Amino acid sequence: MKFVAVIRQVPDGESRLRIQGDRVDLSGATLILDQMDEYGVEEALRLKEKHGGEAIVVGFGPERTEEAIRTALAMGMDRGIHVVYEGYADPVTVAEALAPILKEESPTLILTGGQQADWDSQALGGALAEALGVPVVAWTTALELEGETARAKHDLDEGAEWVRVRLPAVFTTQQGLNEPRYPTLPGIMKAKKKEIRKVQVSLSPKVELLSEEIQEKARLGKVLDGKDPAQAAEELVRLLHEEAKVI
Amino acid sequence: MILVVLDHDGNRLRKGSLEALTRARALAEALGTQVAGVLLSEGQAPVEEARGHVATLFVAELGPYTPEKWAAGVLAAAKDGVKAIVAPSSRQSRTYLGRVAYALKAGLLEDTLESWAEGGMVYATRYAYLNRVTQKVRAALPVVLTVKPNTTPLAEPLEQAGQVVALPIPPVPTVEVLERVQEEKKGVSLTEANVVVTGGRGMGGPEAFKQVEELAALLGGAVGATRAVVDAGWRPYSEQVGQTGKTVQPSLYIALGVSGAVQHLAGMNKSKYIVAVNKDPEAPIFKHADYGIVGDVHQVLPALIQAVKKLKD
Repeated sequence: MKFVAVIRQVPDGESRLRIQGDRVDLSGATLILDQMDEYGVEEALRLKEKHGGEAIVVGFGPERTEEAIRTALAMGMDRGIHVVYEGYADPVTVAEALAPILKEESPTLILTGGQQADWDSQALGGALAEALGVPVVAWTTALELEGETARAKHDLDEGAEWVRVRLPAVFTTQQGLNEPRYPTLPGIMKAKKKEIRKVQVSLSPKVELLSEEIQEKARLGKVLDGKDPAQAAEELVRLLHEEAKVI
Repeated sequence: MILVVLDHDGNRLRKGSLEALTRARALAEALGTQVAGVLLSEGQAPVEEARGHVATLFVAELGPYTPEKWAAGVLAAAKDGVKAIVAPSSRQSRTYLGRVAYALKAGLLEDTLESWAEGGMVYATRYAYLNRVTQKVRAALPVVLTVKPNTTPLAEPLEQAGQVVALPIPPVPTVEVLERVQEEKKGVSLTEANVVVTGGRGMGGPEAFKQVEELAALLGGAVGATRAVVDAGWRPYSEQVGQTGKTVQPSLYIALGVSGAVQHLAGMNKSKYIVAVNKDPEAPIFKHADYGIVGDVHQVLPALIQAVKKLKD
């Protein structure tokens, strides 16, 4: 069996972002393995531990993405493939870049994050599945292998459902699927020796990024003292009704 | 043709569909083409309401939702060529339209705030970096575009109802739905709601959410929760607002006993008005609030319910 986690490196959600010349400048930001993708890495490791086989991390992004691939290797993934590309790419373009590599590996299943923490896309799982001609299960919260199929629980827009799907298939992850492990010191040492194959690609993204800006909405900041709850509540409701006109 | 996917709950079109229609009509006018609609049905669909909004309405009976069937339905409706496919943004649409965009080799413009056509290209703005950055993007035709809820005026019906065309969809390899886990759903959907009332860890326990529900119902809104609350099992994951949950942009967001962690702010910081109630005056949420009350949420919440009731009388 072969379990693949597709990952990217993104700024930590708590990092301060700056804009430089119409683009987000990440030079001062802490960069991490996307936490949504990390659930995919953890799940691939658990599946490998239970069923045997190989767990492979496939990273997409600029040279620095190697750090995130190393993190996944330190968690226990067996080897890495780094598809090297600098700059913005839409999910269809990313899927086109990854499809030949994934087809060559012919994995049992592929995991990737439900949403990217930088470009806020939720479509990579669906686009990858279409590229490979396999089904997709989105926002997975439970996953079990049963022979040549998988049984999975995942979220819908309203509620959730259990599905059975013939493998191979693509699963997108979310919080609740598992609790990712921390890399151990021996894991980090071992990761340094693990193979990362570099694949250079040249792409023409279908979506062109024209500009990025940070629009902070100025907030009113009117804070009332709640020592007298009834009075504070009435004043708040009056403000919402008369000033904000939202109720 | 501009194809608009009309999302619905079985009985009525969702509000997001009427926003998507407004966007689709604007694109059709700029690109000199017509709008057609597609209605994907699990067995029951508001065909009469939907045909009131488009000259041509494709209807596909597909059985339980799967991304593969929904993608096949949209692609069948689009097979004679489309300039753009427009749909209300939701977790489901952003999944199956990933398939559709790949199949059409189209530019995918996800969760857009605004969109317009110029010089044969489609432009859009959208949030990135967990809602903190606004991107301006463009793509050549054809495009697949999803519309963020609560960003666009609702479309009015046409004077004349359109023709209905049944779309036969051959079976596609897909997942088999074993069992739906229906969470008890009250009122409006979280992402489309005009008012969201969210409870945080400060609520103290699951019982306190009865009053959160009461306030949400009084305001015609939906209930939200923080990660700590869903992790504790007080509320279902589907109600989680934040980086790993849903992103909402209502007119009014009321945060009760919510400290205001960055991960939570990522899911609600674009709300028009933000209200915070917290006993800690130093809680970060107050820095992002338009209005706030420093006080015990267990006393302030019942008082708020009373005050809203009084206003309604």
